[in-house]
Amino acid sequence: MTDTCGTQAIGQPIERREDRRFLKGLGRYTDDIVVSGALHAHFVRSPYAHARLLRIDTSRARALAGVHGVFTAADIRSLATPLRMAPPIEGLLPVTTEPLAGDKVRFAGDPYAVIVADDRYLAEDAAELIDTEFEPLEPVAGFGQAMQSEAALVHEELGTNLVSTQHFSTPDLNEAFARAARVVATRFSQQRQTHAPIETRGCIAQWDEGRQHLTFTCGNQTPHPLRTALAARLRLSESQVTVISPDIGGAFGQKIALMREELCVAALARKLRRPIRWREDRLENLTAACHAREESALTRAAVDGQGRILALELAIDADFGAYCFYPANYMARVVAMILTGPYRVTNYGYTVRVALTNKCPSGPMRAPMAITSWIMEGTIDSIARELSVDPLEVRLINTLRSEDLPFMMATGELLCDVTPLQTLQAAVRGVGYGDFRRRQVAGQREGRLLGLGLCSVIEPTTYGSAFYRAAGIRGSGHDNAWVRIEPSGAVNASVGLMSAGMGYETAFAQTVADGLGVSVEAVCIALGHSAIAPYGMGARGSRGAVAGGGTLFLAARKLQDKVLAIAAHRLGVAQGSLRLQLGRIEKHDVAGWKPAGLSLNDITEIAYMNPLALPLGVEPGLEIQLAWDPPPMVYSNATHACEVEVNVDSGELRILRYLVAEDAGTLINPLIVKGQLQGAVAMGLGGALMEDIAYDESAQPRAGSLADYLLPTATDLPDIEIIHLSTPNALTPGGIKGMAEGGVMGAIGAVCNAVGDALAHLGVRVDAQPLTPERLLDWIQQAKHTSAAATPISSAATATSPHRDQPSGYADS
Amino acid sequence: MSARRTIRVVVNGSKRQTTVESRTLLSDALREGFGLTGTHVGCEQGVCGACTVWLNEDPTRSCLVFAVQADGQCVTTVEGLCAPDERSVLEREFSRAHALQCGFCTPGILMSVQALLRANPRPDEQAVRELLSGHLCRCTGYTNIVQAVMATASYLAMPQQGVHDD
Repeated sequence: MTDTCGTQAIGQPIERREDRRFLKGLGRYTDDIVVSGALHAHFVRSPYAHARLLRIDTSRARALAGVHGVFTAADIRSLATPLRMAPPIEGLLPVTTEPLAGDKVRFAGDPYAVIVADDRYLAEDAAELIDTEFEPLEPVAGFGQAMQSEAALVHEELGTNLVSTQHFSTPDLNEAFARAARVVATRFSQQRQTHAPIETRGCIAQWDEGRQHLTFTCGNQTPHPLRTALAARLRLSESQVTVISPDIGGAFGQKIALMREELCVAALARKLRRPIRWREDRLENLTAACHAREESALTRAAVDGQGRILALELAIDADFGAYCFYPANYMARVVAMILTGPYRVTNYGYTVRVALTNKCPSGPMRAPMAITSWIMEGTIDSIARELSVDPLEVRLINTLRSEDLPFMMATGELLCDVTPLQTLQAAVRGVGYGDFRRRQVAGQREGRLLGLGLCSVIEPTTYGSAFYRAAGIRGSGHDNAWVRIEPSGAVNASVGLMSAGMGYETAFAQTVADGLGVSVEAVCIALGHSAIAPYGMGARGSRGAVAGGGTLFLAARKLQDKVLAIAAHRLGVAQGSLRLQLGRIEKHDVAGWKPAGLSLNDITEIAYMNPLALPLGVEPGLEIQLAWDPPPMVYSNATHACEVEVNVDSGELRILRYLVAEDAGTLINPLIVKGQLQGAVAMGLGGALMEDIAYDESAQPRAGSLADYLLPTATDLPDIEIIHLSTPNALTPGGIKGMAEGGVMGAIGAVCNAVGDALAHLGVRVDAQPLTPERLLDWIQQAKHTSAAATPISSAATATSPHRDQPSGYADS
Repeated sequence: MSARRTIRVVVNGSKRQTTVESRTLLSDALREGFGLTGTHVGCEQGVCGACTVWLNEDPTRSCLVFAVQADGQCVTTVEGLCAPDERSVLEREFSRAHALQCGFCTPGILMSVQALLRANPRPDEQAVRELLSGHLCRCTGYTNIVQAVMATASYLAMPQQGVHDD
C-alpha cells in the first residue's frame, strides 16, 4: 500500500492548529463548560484499606442546606448495574464491581457514598457530617501477602486473591536449557505508578426528561466504547446516550474505561432530573483514579559460551489492586507475549500471575507493557556480566537481522519491516560507544562512576483484530472514518479516536489532505462526539497514526475515486489518467501532469446540485464512510542510549546524554512525532527515577499530593537527541507505523542499564526502581560492605524504597 | 458555610466585581465568577503551577490565594496576555517549537515565562529550566518549552521587535 501515498502534506512538520486555542486559554476542557443549574457531586471514600461497612448515617449530611441528596450503594444499585469483568480468557477469574462499595471497602479511597449539592465546597462540607462505622479487616498490601495461604481475601467469592494465571511454553524449552553453557537469572521489580494527567478526571451528566436522553460530557479517549458501557450499565438504549469528549488535559490511559464515579454521576442526573458535574481533586486522582505498573519479574536465560540465547523463561507477577476495570491479565500478558522483541529467541516460556490486593485498581498507562524492554535488555546486560563480555557484543549476536525477517516470535507474533540492528548500530555510532568505554575507565581511575545503557525496543503500536483473537481478548482493532466534501469544497472528516494532546486535528488533516488531494487547510477534523464521529475503538496504545490516520487516508482515497469518476465522465477521459491535486483535477499525458480545467468546486456543483450529470450508478453527494482493520500487529522499533554519572557519595544520578535512534516508518508530522517521543521518554524516566505510588504495610497510600508523588520537572530531564530511520510498513497506508509508547519502554531500560553499567564493577545489580539517590547510595554502601567482608557479591534485592512520613489523606476525613 | 461578600478586582484591565464566600479560592472566582476558564486547576495544592496568574505584577498560584485577598487588586490571566485576534511572539514560538501538547499546563507556564522575560529579557537556559521547574507538564518532557522560551527571548532582543508576531 506504500505507493498510494501522496507527498504534499504527510511528512511535513506543520504547526498544530490546536495550539491557538490552548495558548489563549480558550481550550474547552470538561470543567470549563458552563451548564446552568448544574449540581456538584462529591464522593465519600474509605479511610481503610480493607474493612466491613457496618453502618452509614447520612442524616446530618442530608439536612445541610444546599445538599440535594446523599446516596450509598443501596441507592445506586437500583439505578445502575454492577460491572462484571469476565472475558472468556483461560486462567482469568471473573470479578464483579458494584457502582459503590456496599458490604465492604477494598482500598483506601474506595468510594462508598456520593453527595450531590449546590456547589463543590458545600458537598465537601456535607462529607464531614457522614458518620460511618467500619470493622477493619486485615489488609492485603502486596503480591507476596496476597499469595499466602492464610491471606485475607479481597473478593471472598473468588476463594483466592490470584485472579489470573497463564502459562506458555514452546516444545523444546527444557531441552534447550539442558544443553546451555550457562543459565543466567535476573530479577526486576517496578514500583506502582500513576498517570497523573494535569487535568484530573471529571464529567457532566445532563438528563433530558422530555427526550429521555442522556448527554454525558467527559474527557475520554474512547467515546464510543464509553457510550456502549454507560448505556448498558444504566439499562438505556445506546440511542439514549450521547457522549461528548471536549479537550482533554492529558489522559495517558487513565481516561478509557467507564469508572464508577462517572457511572454514579450519570445515574443520579437521571434520577434527580438535574445536570450534575464532578471534578476529581488531586488526592483522589493520585489514590483512587487508576494505578499501573506494579510488577516484578524473573528471567532465566539459557546461553552458550558467546552469550547466544538458546532459551528464555519469564515469570512475571503483577499487583493489580482491588477491582478489575480491565481484564487482570491484560498488561502483564502482553509483556510476556512480546518480551523477546528484537532478539532471535526461538525457545521461550512464560508464567504470568496477577493478584488482587487492597490497593487502588490498576489499568493501562502509556506503554502498559512498559517493563518489557527493561526485562529483556536487563537480561542481556546480565548475560554479558555473567560471561564477562561487553553488553553490546551480546546484543549484536542475538539481534534480528534483515535476513531473519519476517520473524515469527515464539509466541506467534510476526515481526516485519523492523530494523533492530540498524537502530542499534545508529545509536552506538551516535553516542560514541567505543569512546565512552575509554572515558568510563578513565573516570573510574578518578573515582567517577560513569555508565552507558542501551535499550532496544520493539513497540507494538497498532493492535489488529487478529491480535486480540490470538491474545484471547474480546475486542476489535478496526476503526472507522467518514470524509465529506461539502458543497463549498470544505472538507470535513471524522474518525473514532479522541485526542488528549496528540495533535490529531492536525496530523489527521494531513492524512486526509493527501488521501483526497486537497490542501491541509481545507480539511477539518471533528473528534470525540459520539453522534458525529463514526463508531471506533478510540485512542489507546499508539494506534492513532495507523488506525486513525490510516483509516482516514483510505476513506479519503475512496472519496477521491468518486471525485475522479465524476471528473472522468465530465471530461470524457479514462479515470486512470486523472488525479486530484490541491483541489484541482489534473490529467496525465506524455508531458506529465497538467490542469484538466476542472476544480473540486466543479465536481461539488455536479454532485450536490446537478446529480443528473453524474455518471450512471454514482450516488449524489460527496461523502464516504469506511472501516479498516489494521494488520494483526504493526511494530515500530528504536534503540535508546543513555549516559549517566552516579555520585558515589550522595547517590545522585545525572543523565549526561540521551539519544534515541528510532524507526517509526513514514512520519505524518515529524514535529508531533518528536514531541511524542520526548514526552514518552520523560514519562519513562520519571517512572524509573522518582515516581512512586508508595503504600505502607497496612496498605495506606503515602503519596497524596504532587509534592509526594514526584513528577519529573524541567531540571530533572535531559535534552533528547533523535536519529530517524524511516522504513515503511508494507501493509499500512503510506507505510505509517505509529509511535508514542516505545519511548517509555526504552527510557526505563536505558537508564536502568546505564546505572547498572556504572555500578557493575562494584557488584551492584539494578533490580528495582525507582532509582532514587537513597536507593543508589544504599546499593553502593551495601556493595562496599559486602566486598569489605570478602564474601561473594549478591543481588541487592533487599534495598527498600525511602520511607515517607506523610499520612494518607483519607485518614482524617 | 461561610459569609459571602462582593469583591472588586481589575481583571485583565477591566473593573469587575463578583460575589464570593470568604473561603472561595481565587482560581475558582476567576473561573466561575469571571468566566475566565483559561486559568486551570491541576492540584489545588500549589505544586503543579497550572493556575498561575499575576496578582498585580507577581506570578501567583491562584489556588493558594483566597478570592477576597484579591479585592481591590489587579489580576492578569492568560486571556489578558494577548488579544484574541493577535498572536504574540511567545505564542508563535510555543507553536513553532511544539512546546505544548494537551495544553492544560500551558496558561500557567505562559504567565510565569512572560513575567520572567519582563524581569530578565535574556535568561540563560539554566534560568529558564529553573523557572519551569515550578510547573508540571506531563506531555512534553520540557525540552521544546525551553526552546520556545529561548527563541522568544532571542527574537525580542533584536532591535525594534514588537511583542506581536508579524
